[in-house]
Amino acid sequence: MIISVSGGKGGTGKSTVAVNLAIELAREYNLRLGDLDIEAPNDHILLGIDLNEGEPIKIMYPYIKYEGCIKCGVCGKVCDTGALLISKEGLPLLLPRLCSGCRACYLACPTKTILEGERVVGYLYENNVSIGDIKFDLVTGVLREGEEHTPPVVRIVKDRLLSKYSDIYLIDTSAGTANHVSIAIDKSDLLIAVTEPTPLGLHDLEMILEVACELNIVSWVVINRYGIGSVDKHLELAKKYKVNKIYKIPYSMAIVESYIKGVPIVIYSKNSRESMIFRDIIRDILEVY
Amino acid sequence: MEISIASGKGGVGKSTLSASLAIILNKLGRNIIAVDADADAPNLHLILGVLRWEKETSFSDTKVAEIIDEKCIRCGECMKICPHGAIYIDDSGRYRVNQVYCEGCITCRLICPVKNAIKYNKVETGIIREAFTEYGFPIISARLRPGRPNSGKIVTEEKEKARNIADKDTIIIIDSAAGIGCQVISSLAGSNMVILITEPTPAGFSDLKRIHKLTRHFMQPVALVINKYDLNPGYTDEIIKYAEEWNIDLLGLVPYDDSIPYSMARMKPVIIEYPNSKASKSLIEISYKVNDILNKWSRWMIEHRPKRPEPYKPILIKPST
Repeated sequence: MIISVSGGKGGTGKSTVAVNLAIELAREYNLRLGDLDIEAPNDHILLGIDLNEGEPIKIMYPYIKYEGCIKCGVCGKVCDTGALLISKEGLPLLLPRLCSGCRACYLACPTKTILEGERVVGYLYENNVSIGDIKFDLVTGVLREGEEHTPPVVRIVKDRLLSKYSDIYLIDTSAGTANHVSIAIDKSDLLIAVTEPTPLGLHDLEMILEVACELNIVSWVVINRYGIGSVDKHLELAKKYKVNKIYKIPYSMAIVESYIKGVPIVIYSKNSRESMIFRDIIRDILEVY
Repeated sequence: MEISIASGKGGVGKSTLSASLAIILNKLGRNIIAVDADADAPNLHLILGVLRWEKETSFSDTKVAEIIDEKCIRCGECMKICPHGAIYIDDSGRYRVNQVYCEGCITCRLICPVKNAIKYNKVETGIIREAFTEYGFPIISARLRPGRPNSGKIVTEEKEKARNIADKDTIIIIDSAAGIGCQVISSLAGSNMVILITEPTPAGFSDLKRIHKLTRHFMQPVALVINKYDLNPGYTDEIIKYAEEWNIDLLGLVPYDDSIPYSMARMKPVIIEYPNSKASKSLIEISYKVNDILNKWSRWMIEHRPKRPEPYKPILIKPST
């Protein structure tokens, strides 16, 4: 089964929830954890491991052979991202950062003057995590600084995550609700939306539940830092989106401490109230799926 | 003058800092426009107490492909070439376009052997909204339709709107999204100054270094705020050392303070709701420091601009033939 952890707002505790669930699930099941927050990948940091040598993630890059160019300008017309500009002299000029590697210019060029090269937009890492006798795989995607086109990187990392057999795939996503988040959570059996009891958390929770709804994914909600504000509206919203499981993690120094120490709470304080909540979530997952 | 607030990591205090800075600089007599550049999780208006939008403009710049079933010969060429993995075969054997994955490039139409078997429909990317905050300055905010790509363009459009209503001496404060992707690059591009905010954790520091690299691509002078600095003093020292090495101006340290989440839960900026709290005091002090920087701008800018250009360089692999 595939479980995704998301939430809309940044800093609500997505990675904390993902990492703790991963450890608890891996006690009994084969597990592959995917860190698809490629802009700010932190799961390996929370797990206290270094990423091993990465492999480049490449997308197509058009190479223009100027000697064959007849200055027809067609390549510029078919480029939808604005990466291909046509100069005053009629020659194409490519802005690499904007190119999405879609091949439209390559296909449209009447003289076959554009060749297929490649561009490295990020790196993929596959790690074996072992904490005591708990073992699982971690697949991490890292967007190269300066690159801005996230969806292909998310897709490639997700494909790798799912390419090897496992009982459970757990996916941690980035903040927000743009299509790279949709791509990360698409085809999940369950979305765990992590939020906080503030109007900001509420606002962004609605946006992510909307995405899950469009993708036909069942959502459960985790309210982190429970106690700092009212959750009445969160509960109303959950009802509206037919969320039937809601968990509350209290606003606690134990979590803050474990986070600072870089040891996940289910290891740091195995019998704490917070750790019990993660075990509750897992018990419910196993009951339903 | 444009100031961007960014962090890489989410939830470290960008919007809290942006709101404080906008309110204080405004109180000090400066013209302010606040821009919420986090179109997929727009929150600044909530902190600034905006309940109603005065103007909402639809923004559509993307199209989505549609395969005309009657014309489709089911050759599968489109599915093979689609760079976004957006084309699939449904249960009845028909080729379909996944609306979430499709980014509207015309590659499938170019490869399709049948004329006009693929058409494109324009879709709304999101809305751009404008209002006056209760503190007297305007805010421009965008809301991306959930699941839509290209949020960078909507941010660029927001900034364009801000520039159109700005005077020569207006300070545009841009609250950027988490991450380092498209939206964040659009938020930083063209800013005169970037204020980075982080927290003293390995995750916060790791994301700080990534966003700092982007500011170097843009040759921008950078200032830094460390939030919740007292949670992990040893780590705070390490980040301060990093700032010194890179000539980043340390504006201040904000202590961990319950008044921040509590004020947020009440939809108020912390400096208004709990003006005497520890966190408010340092946020106010930081805002005054920014005001000083603006007063002696040229000198500060020259001092804190990266010493050498470090432009973005794509890693390219030449065609094999």
